[in-house]
Amino acid sequence: MTAATDQRTVLAVRDLKKHFPIKDGALQRVVGQVRAVDGVSFDLLRGETLGLVGESGCGKTTLGRVLAGLEKPTSGGVYFDLSEQQRTELDQALRAGQGEDLAQLEAAHRVDRLDATNWRRFRRNTQMVFQDSFSSLNPRHLVSDIVGRPLRVYKEASGSALTERVVGLLEQVGLGRQHLYRYPHQFSGGQRQRISIARALALDPELVILDEPTSALDVSVQAQILNLLHELQQNRGFTFLFITHDLSVVRHMADRIAVMYLGRIAESGETTGLFDDPIHPYTEALLRANPDLTGDDEGFRGLEGTVPDPARPPQGCRFHTRCEYATPDCGWEIDDVVLQLEDTPALFDKLVGVERRSPFDADLEFVDASAAAALETALHGDEVPSSMKAAIEQVSVGAQTVSIKFREVNEVLLTPRGNDRLAACVLDALPSRD
Amino acid sequence: MTAPATNLQKTDAPVVASVRDLRVHFKSKAGIVHAVDGVDFDVRDGETLGLVGETGCGKSVTARSFLRLVPMPPGIPVSGSIMFHPRQRCTACDGAGCVACDHTGRVVSTCPACSGTGCSTCEQTGAETLDLLTIPERDLRSIRGNRIAMIFQDPGKALNPALSIRKQVAEVFYAHRSDELLASAGIDPSSHSLPTGLLRRRATQQSRTLENVLLSLPPLRSRRSAITAAADDRVAAALAETQIPNPRAVMDRYPHELSGGMKQRVMIALALACDPDLLIADEPTTALDVTVQARIIELIKELQQRHKTAVVYISHDLSLVRRVADRTAVMYAGRIVEVGDSEQIFHEPEHPYTRGLIDAIPGAHHERGRLAAIEGTVPELIDPDPSCRFAGRCDFAAEVCWTRDPALEPVGDRQVACFIHHPPEHGEAPTFDRTAR
Repeated sequence: MTAATDQRTVLAVRDLKKHFPIKDGALQRVVGQVRAVDGVSFDLLRGETLGLVGESGCGKTTLGRVLAGLEKPTSGGVYFDLSEQQRTELDQALRAGQGEDLAQLEAAHRVDRLDATNWRRFRRNTQMVFQDSFSSLNPRHLVSDIVGRPLRVYKEASGSALTERVVGLLEQVGLGRQHLYRYPHQFSGGQRQRISIARALALDPELVILDEPTSALDVSVQAQILNLLHELQQNRGFTFLFITHDLSVVRHMADRIAVMYLGRIAESGETTGLFDDPIHPYTEALLRANPDLTGDDEGFRGLEGTVPDPARPPQGCRFHTRCEYATPDCGWEIDDVVLQLEDTPALFDKLVGVERRSPFDADLEFVDASAAAALETALHGDEVPSSMKAAIEQVSVGAQTVSIKFREVNEVLLTPRGNDRLAACVLDALPSRD
Repeated sequence: MTAPATNLQKTDAPVVASVRDLRVHFKSKAGIVHAVDGVDFDVRDGETLGLVGETGCGKSVTARSFLRLVPMPPGIPVSGSIMFHPRQRCTACDGAGCVACDHTGRVVSTCPACSGTGCSTCEQTGAETLDLLTIPERDLRSIRGNRIAMIFQDPGKALNPALSIRKQVAEVFYAHRSDELLASAGIDPSSHSLPTGLLRRRATQQSRTLENVLLSLPPLRSRRSAITAAADDRVAAALAETQIPNPRAVMDRYPHELSGGMKQRVMIALALACDPDLLIADEPTTALDVTVQARIIELIKELQQRHKTAVVYISHDLSLVRRVADRTAVMYAGRIVEVGDSEQIFHEPEHPYTRGLIDAIPGAHHERGRLAAIEGTVPELIDPDPSCRFAGRCDFAAEVCWTRDPALEPVGDRQVACFIHHPPEHGEAPTFDRTAR
């Protein structure tokens, strides 16, 4: 593992949110928000590799794009290039709320408030390698244009000096002078990804965001690219943010890992510790579902259910709807009852409306009294998880309505678990499996 | 992995399909591409055969050849045969499973030419044998989706976006089970009266406009809806079998309304609807998340055990194939380089390419930056010279590897195509300790 030698923070992310509006109707009125990234905080230290893992739709790519400055955050901040002291000041200022200190720090470091000069400095120091090298390389440009473009934009070189710089870059990624005047389609997938990497490295950036750089490649080529990335990091001290869904790859590459679920970080920590001893049930589920060459069949298992709608994330812990260790304190709510109802069409068809007083307390109205009674029995049945039953504080059946009140819980936040580990789970540790 | 006892059973099991010297080439501007160039393997009853290899090694073309789905042209069928031994319902137990059929509910169909005594068409086996590459298109149609089914990589593209799930799944039953549909609707399929004829055409989805008008008239309408209801029941049962919650509601949805995992379940339901002898799964989980992938794998395994279907599982993911397959065949550049028991192959690979592939997967034991990448790229398959296809990337290649083709020959329980294990009669043979890695 490469320990970060310099404690400079390349990126400090504080309560970052990125919501996308859902528009509907003839007037395109905003009817909701897809909470793609919903309150993410972490630090990225110089020279380290942070792995960001999660299922599709968990917001990891959006987060990468916001960090690269390709999208403006909805709220929260990304702060670029802070010293140790500045970072402490930032945290203090943020805790204190509005203030002169904060305004000063934000003007100089907050990515969406930078002035033109600092913005240019940020952009050239943050480069991105995209997943699909087919669509991220312009098919009508030569390799010399593609790799040389950043150098030209920042007026680093021109003419024959530019060509020499490009050749140097190509040689670093294992290509050569003979590839200068070719088009992207003349290369294989692995070679195209090397071109993308050469382009990202052209300006010697501080941070490289790698968004699934190897998921379109074969294993033998993937190994070449991973070795190349490691070698480049060793020689030139880059900071990597490695976004991927492949746990074997991230385990190999990352010093620290953040596991994302539905726009939030579920667990983060040092790689070996996190893999050997996951705290969050979601991390465990991901690890169990990952096929690897060691280990036996016993542990290999998938995860029930689907990722909930990010426009209406579950209360409490976002993972409680699929969690096998769920407790009554995990945030059971009215939406969970509605989901159960959807699986019993006979009852669901009779549901007229849901009147919510809060996410935990609502009246469900049915067309007739028998359906209401049937729901009440169903809530005590085997279909309903026992932890959900335990979370129900009150059920009262009216003429055609059922009022249900769940135990109210707060959002489950990331809490420190020792050894640099953070996890967002109500449990202290995973129950043992014996 | 699978217990040794069942493995033994599986190696004794009768062969469902055998591929011999399959060669499929493609015409291109640069020359003839030898995409599949001499592939031999057997698929045994009830086993899962994993077919692994990198992009462009010919694994999908091999799989598609089973159902003649490779477009010709540009494809050129050069040589080879795929002998398929269809099975039929066991008459002793009527599909329930008995000693005679080894609890599979199915027995081998007897050869129609010699009625089971053994003749030249069935190579003295007495079993019905069809060469999938030469039988008429008409016969092949009755096999596709019925005796051999296929699951494709991207369920989003494989399902028709304009048809509801009900219609797509029902199509299988209309195409292959129309007699059963008529029987469940209380119509005697053998009758030759006009109404039965009309209804039979309805049950095979052949009705024209005028016939549809006739069928919608009172005397036939109720029987027509009985056929539709029978088909619906079967569709719901097929969907329920793949653990789709609430199948009746899902039936009326369109593919875009379902998640990726759900769509793949529908594909599996479609494939297994007619209880096929052989299921070809072409990267069925590549487009899915790991958590969903694991669920789909469990499902395929469970359904395979219940139906005793043989599965050819194609994937580029070695760690996944290790979990899924009883036996594994590793393909490289249009050839099979190693085939044998999965556990053995992944534990002790014999071919340098298999070794390379397994070493290239990042694992806990690898130091960062020290992954054993296979240098170089897959060779061009345009008019290749006779040589080992892997010689250009092989650490152990000797003189002979560049001049001759290694054949797939047995090594222990396995078959390996490498001169390390089968030294040539003349010239120096390569050995594993030629170069230290």
